[in-house]
Amino acid sequence: MLAIGLFVVTLLSGALGGLFSRHKFADFLQATGSFVSLLLAGWIAKIVIFDGNILIYSDHLIYIDALGAFNIMLIAMVGFVAAVYSVGYMRYEVAEGFITRVQLGRYYFFFHCFILSMLWVSSVDNLGMLWVGIELTTLISALLVSFYGTQHALEAAWKYLIMGVVGIGFALLGIVFLYMSGLNTMNPAAALQWSSLMVVADQLNPQWVEIGFIFILIGFGTKAGLAPMHFWLPDAHSQAPAPVSAVLSGVLLNTALYGIFRIFAIANLTLHGQAAKYLIGFGLFSIAVTVPFIMVQKDLKRMLAFSSVEHMGIITLAVGFGGPLGLYGAFLHMFNHSMTKSLLFFAAGDVAQKYHTKFMDRIFGVLKALPFTGIVMLIAAFGVAGAPPFSIFLSEFTIMLAGAASGNIFAAGIFALLIVLIFAGMSYYVLKMAFGKMPVRTVHQTDFWMKTAMSILLVFVIVGGLYVPDPLVYAIHAAVAIFQGGIK
Amino acid sequence: MDSFITVILLVSTLLLFRTKKTMDAVFIITIQSAGLAVIGFIMWYRTGLVHLLIGAVLTLVVKTFLIPYILYYTVRKTKEHRNIVRSMGQFPTMLIALLLTVLGQYVASHLMLPGAEHGMRYLSAAIGLVFLGTFTIINNKQVLMEGIGVIVIENGLFLITQSLSYGMPLAVELGIFFDLFVAVVIIASLTFKIHSVFHSLNTEKMQDLRG
Repeated sequence: MLAIGLFVVTLLSGALGGLFSRHKFADFLQATGSFVSLLLAGWIAKIVIFDGNILIYSDHLIYIDALGAFNIMLIAMVGFVAAVYSVGYMRYEVAEGFITRVQLGRYYFFFHCFILSMLWVSSVDNLGMLWVGIELTTLISALLVSFYGTQHALEAAWKYLIMGVVGIGFALLGIVFLYMSGLNTMNPAAALQWSSLMVVADQLNPQWVEIGFIFILIGFGTKAGLAPMHFWLPDAHSQAPAPVSAVLSGVLLNTALYGIFRIFAIANLTLHGQAAKYLIGFGLFSIAVTVPFIMVQKDLKRMLAFSSVEHMGIITLAVGFGGPLGLYGAFLHMFNHSMTKSLLFFAAGDVAQKYHTKFMDRIFGVLKALPFTGIVMLIAAFGVAGAPPFSIFLSEFTIMLAGAASGNIFAAGIFALLIVLIFAGMSYYVLKMAFGKMPVRTVHQTDFWMKTAMSILLVFVIVGGLYVPDPLVYAIHAAVAIFQGGIK
Repeated sequence: MDSFITVILLVSTLLLFRTKKTMDAVFIITIQSAGLAVIGFIMWYRTGLVHLLIGAVLTLVVKTFLIPYILYYTVRKTKEHRNIVRSMGQFPTMLIALLLTVLGQYVASHLMLPGAEHGMRYLSAAIGLVFLGTFTIINNKQVLMEGIGVIVIENGLFLITQSLSYGMPLAVELGIFFDLFVAVVIIASLTFKIHSVFHSLNTEKMQDLRG
């Protein structure tokens, strides 16, 4: 019932926020709703991760294990801070006359439906249902990308929709192949269930599993922004409203990766570790592709979007390295990236909103014009670029060690070189924006709601850089155990 | 009967590369979906599996009536009757489409699949549809036609699942139908927005975001 409650509360937050959008309390209502969702997600995490149960309802339709609970927790967390941030961000847009309160209502509704679709993906056992969920995330988020209705927003949303739907179509084909690989060994009702496939993984037909996995990697990889299928991503992430960009980069990409990893877990068992080489290839290529785009970027939000491609590459690479250390690094990096990138998008959104531009050469003196946001932007940008002592540094370092430990020294070396280059590119632009003379405008105080959202994430970024809290370590180990086939 | 429907599916899809009117394309989609529904009924008749019957009825309702109606409405409201613009000329377009159809046949004949004795004949058409749908998206420069390409791909995928493994479990099939329906609604609503902002449905005007 807990999972159903989570879905209902999320849907209600959107519905109420949409219904009463003419009144200001709708803002409060939807933020409270997503806080309740967060509490429920925490409760689920407690039962699943810390008490070691698996939640199964209505004949495996809903199935939450530690891997799913980990993702649910991340989604609910980023969803909550983004809902809080949305209040401040959108009130400013309404005050400036860019949108009306009625449009805001529509935004709230689709925003929470979007969160709901991602929660659904993380709590199903049936791979067909997982596909249905990931397709839904594309459809709903395309509406959010087109929210402003400008030429650029529509162009981005259209590209995203077509690329997403076609890519995911290929993933469906992959799932069909996987389904058939098991039809000889198991009954048809179970042949799509992840938990049953995982048990008989070594008896599946390896040829079909390999073809299926490649299709799924390409299909969901399109959605996760893995290169070379990533080119819709900078458009969509830069044109969406800032809180949506944060959710897109922070958790939607993870959710697509989650789809890949679920199937990878099966394929790697069937293929005796051979599936990992695909992940290493795609991962490294995704990191490498972003280097030139980050180095010569003009648009602030596009730069962040390319950085998301990079980080998805890093997570994929880490899972490819494998072993306890690689998988630990991958999930730790997933968590750290979600927190840091959302924070950076929040800061960038505030900057772009107050400067009325996303072009980095027109933004300078942020530290003076927006003191709070300026500091957050600096910390988050250095955090994302991988500077110590912030959380991403820790996970990137772990992944590098994992690469060396797993014998992929060459790949680990290239990885290290690439992130140094990206670090140089990003810090150059961010320092230029942060310092310099204050533009001829008054000093803006960061809005209370935005400040709250950013402060929450800031804690994770800073504390996470000093040490990894025990509950997180425990949660990651539980997720990794599921990943390696430790279904109880 | 099997070959007859396969031929109808492929010929109607090939006509997609000949037509100059968007409305014709909507009509072709309707024919194609009706063909899928008939295949669904045939498969049900042969295997007696109830969920194939449900799938067939859903195909009839959602794909043959609802979705074409939404597209029809969109074409009428945007008044974009006659503006299919392709990147390639008439001759190369048709040539590639034919080659893709043959490729579909070739791929299908080389797949050794379990559990496909009743549906094997449709497999070539199904794979052909996926290829042709992808080519429609690549080759067209008009928003609605790209949307139609997506539907052709989905139809192909649906036919593959139907013919290979007697369809997915019912819950999944319902989910896929729901997704397709939502996708078409969103494609239509974005088409309206694009039409009102760009005053055209040509995707060449939508190439500003780069780098």
